[in-house]
Amino acid sequence: MEIMQLLSVLILLSCFVLVANKRTKSYIRTFQAQSALLAIAAFILGMENLSGHGAIEIMFVCLLIVTLKVYYIPKLLSHTFANVDYKVEKNFFYNIPLLVLVSCAIAVFNYFSISSAIGGKPTELGMYLANSVSVIFIGFFFMISRKKAIGQIVGLLVMENGIFVAALFASGGMPVLVDVGIFIDLITAVIIMGIMVFKINEELETTDINKLKRLRG
Amino acid sequence: MADLAYYVIQMALFILIAPLVGGIIKKIKAFTQKRKGAPVYQVYLDIIKLFTKDTVVSNQASWVFTATPYIVFASAAAACAFVPVLPGIAMKPLPGDIFMVIYILLLGKFFMAISGLDTGSTFGGMGSSREMMISAIFEPSLIVAVITLGFSAKSTSLGDIMLHSARLGPAIVQPSYMLLLVSLVLILIAESSRIPLDDPSTHLELTMVHEAMILEYSGRYLALMELASLIKQLIFITIIANVFIPAGILVYAGSGFAVLMVSLLAYVAKVAAISVAVACIEASTVKLRFFSIPNLAALSFIASFVGFLQYFTGGGN
Amino acid sequence: MISYLLLLPLVSIVAFWLAKRASQIFALGIAAALIMLSAGVKLSIDVAALGHVNKRYLMNFYVDSLSIIVLDLVLAVSLFVIIYCAGYFKKELERGKTDIKRLRLFYSLLFAFMFSMILLLTTPNMGIMWIAIEATTLASVFLVGFENNKRSLEASWKYIIICSVGIAIALLGIILLHISSIGIIKDAGTDLSWTYLYEHAKELDVNLLRLAFIFMLVGFGTKAGLAPMHTWLPDAHSQAPSPVSAMLSGVLLNNAMYGIMRGLAILNKAMGSGSFAGAALMALGLLSILTAAVFILTQRDYKRLLAYSSIEHMGIIALGLGVFTPASVLASLMHMINHSFTKSMLFLSAGNIYQRYGSKDIYKVKGLYKSMPITGVVFMLGIFAITGMPPFSIFSSELGMVVALFKNGSYFAGAAFLFLLALVFVGFAVTLFKIFYGNAKGEQQKSLKPSPYADIVLVAMLGVITVTGVFMPDGVLKLLTDAQRIVTGG
Repeated sequence: MEIMQLLSVLILLSCFVLVANKRTKSYIRTFQAQSALLAIAAFILGMENLSGHGAIEIMFVCLLIVTLKVYYIPKLLSHTFANVDYKVEKNFFYNIPLLVLVSCAIAVFNYFSISSAIGGKPTELGMYLANSVSVIFIGFFFMISRKKAIGQIVGLLVMENGIFVAALFASGGMPVLVDVGIFIDLITAVIIMGIMVFKINEELETTDINKLKRLRG
Repeated sequence: MADLAYYVIQMALFILIAPLVGGIIKKIKAFTQKRKGAPVYQVYLDIIKLFTKDTVVSNQASWVFTATPYIVFASAAAACAFVPVLPGIAMKPLPGDIFMVIYILLLGKFFMAISGLDTGSTFGGMGSSREMMISAIFEPSLIVAVITLGFSAKSTSLGDIMLHSARLGPAIVQPSYMLLLVSLVLILIAESSRIPLDDPSTHLELTMVHEAMILEYSGRYLALMELASLIKQLIFITIIANVFIPAGILVYAGSGFAVLMVSLLAYVAKVAAISVAVACIEASTVKLRFFSIPNLAALSFIASFVGFLQYFTGGGN
Repeated sequence: MISYLLLLPLVSIVAFWLAKRASQIFALGIAAALIMLSAGVKLSIDVAALGHVNKRYLMNFYVDSLSIIVLDLVLAVSLFVIIYCAGYFKKELERGKTDIKRLRLFYSLLFAFMFSMILLLTTPNMGIMWIAIEATTLASVFLVGFENNKRSLEASWKYIIICSVGIAIALLGIILLHISSIGIIKDAGTDLSWTYLYEHAKELDVNLLRLAFIFMLVGFGTKAGLAPMHTWLPDAHSQAPSPVSAMLSGVLLNNAMYGIMRGLAILNKAMGSGSFAGAALMALGLLSILTAAVFILTQRDYKRLLAYSSIEHMGIIALGLGVFTPASVLASLMHMINHSFTKSMLFLSAGNIYQRYGSKDIYKVKGLYKSMPITGVVFMLGIFAITGMPPFSIFSSELGMVVALFKNGSYFAGAAFLFLLALVFVGFAVTLFKIFYGNAKGEQQKSLKPSPYADIVLVAMLGVITVTGVFMPDGVLKLLTDAQRIVTGG
């Protein structure tokens, strides 16, 4: 369906916007926007499923996405990072345009390797998969290119978003129990990481992950 | 003969509508600042007023300084001949495609840049170098976007591109077109010197780019330069409007006067809507630090590049 | 049986928060672990007789010989560790280094950790298996950072970030597995069910299955500590308190390997000769052994050294899985058992050493024989065991591995394996033998001696690894052979 293709590409675009950003609030906002796009996609699929098979599972997942990823987790993150950090990241390993170009290279690499791994001809499934795996890898790349803790947490969340995109677009969702379990795991992980960031800030007066260098060898 | 009339009417239309776009943007910005703002037609009155005033020319300036306003205006007016408002009507298309448009505009930009250097003031030189840098880093994304559009329509003439997207549907939802839209919107902001790249209403020395180059102009020269940048803005808005929201452009010559008027109104409505959108973007962000502009340019480039990629791996449409 | 295993940890967690004294908590923990172990043994007898056990309480539960081996390991090692904990924390409470509230937290997290591992091993649904693996990471983060200093904070941050990323990649693999099976699933009961996928493996989409396996290998390999995804392991296993290190090294790494084995079984059944998977596993295995050998040569921290040794042994298991002959897979499974007991024993004795000397630095620990004779002897014999000396169990499984390698014709891998093992022994000898000789500082106070619980556990585990080195009971051998047949597809 065309609108699903469009949403898939917009989610990829939001990943690029994420890498091009410098302000911590923008990270959280971009993640929120990406989750909103995901919720719209889930809603459309859910409507289709509802009218076709009468199954409310995907709508339930859509509801979960909206409450957790669009509303609760960004609130939790903003609250955690409100008093902890600078608002704009100043130091990067490499400058941002270079990072953006690298994420473009990641997307290109994924397009070609996944289409060749799947069979060679460009198919819709291949495009969905390539987009979602690109989101996952760009989220991972975002994680390693940022020096502050919030970068790593948002990167992990974007990776999980990418996995949801893969599950939703390419296979019409996972069994509900699995989806619910994944959400519970995600929330717990974010809460635990928030607690750890507080502790790190207390002990080390900074959330610059690069300063965690005591264990070497 | 009918062709000549068509192109003359089109150029006149552009020159007449361009200040309206500027006026709409100023009005929306005023609303967001809780002011009433000047009326929408104020820009026309300002330009007419400028034509009646005297010009002051620095005695360090050479012929470049006095020739540039005419060259810039001429290039903008010539470029708008190649950008069809209603692409179905032109019976014999002018031999020129989108690359012609881009590089004619670049001619005007080049002269604007060297005229900024011509007067010997520091602001002009600074503005010229910044403008050249912005232009250089946005050019790759513009070219890639244009090439993708050309591949998609199997021709680089703007009329063909617009007709091709009109056949695809009333509003474009192809993934590759969406990415190109994002890229072209960023390019529009760059070319028309709007926030977040350049504040068009400031004269603070460290923050002006476009304004710095035209700082020394006055009277009719200033009027011509202002009009030329407004026309350039309208050219890009027209490209976006007709390529990405092709509702109402499938009219052909001989379809009757009423249908033509309706399409023309549709075009004006689209342009107005896009100007409102540009004004909202302007009102909602801040001007970027100059060295953060490459971030936006990189984003624009990869949006168009991934759009190009998407077009090819998506099977081509 | 399965219900006991699943409910008992949850009940114990509630009980811990109601207990008022430390001794109650200790007793409760040991009792719960004993009951769980006996339930596990009964289950193993059932599985050995029937082949597999199926039950349904709200979800399907399924235990076959592969899961029962890993499950028994979880329960047995947990019992030893919990008995040790009683002694260890008694000493810690006496010295005032911890209080009863943190003790409750520790035990609750430990049992939550065990619950998630039991869930992992008893579910046939790959999605629930993934959730359980992520739950083990989350449950053990605060266990790793229990000591609350800068280093343990760094270790637990690295642990949660790297393991979550790895597990996310494994989830991508599971989703790709799901996509490859879309054509053949019939209803919700068979969706992502390992047994169903295993039966119908030949009907899965081969290209997607290959991609799925690569991602699952990288993802579960991160959790198992295979190089180059091992970077969290030395930090987490060395900074955690010793009982936790024993659990992590001895039990959690096996569960991650279990995940890889399940994926490998399906891939092999679908694709016939698992050639590319075999090559990938062998490469990762050899790389892990090489990395471990290099870093062991230059270690100053004895717990970190033991952690690198875990990486090495996981590499050995991966190497055996990669060669993929029945003999090598059998050797891998046996090696899993042997490594669990030996490594946990070593970590528990290291816990004694740390309690007595207060430092993890090898240069600060001297005169171990004189100050703690039992711990000293056990630690020394343990070092011999872990580097592969007879008559201990690791020798027999490593020997089996070498024979399988050479019989299969992978001469280069076999030679590299032997060379790296020798390198590891040199590394251990050069670094660790320093701590046994010399004069111990500090008086021989009673409070500094390790608790009798700890000593009993250590000697018992030493006995286990000696006995299993020479003799394998028939029942266990049958389970191992069945498990090997599951992995290699009959």
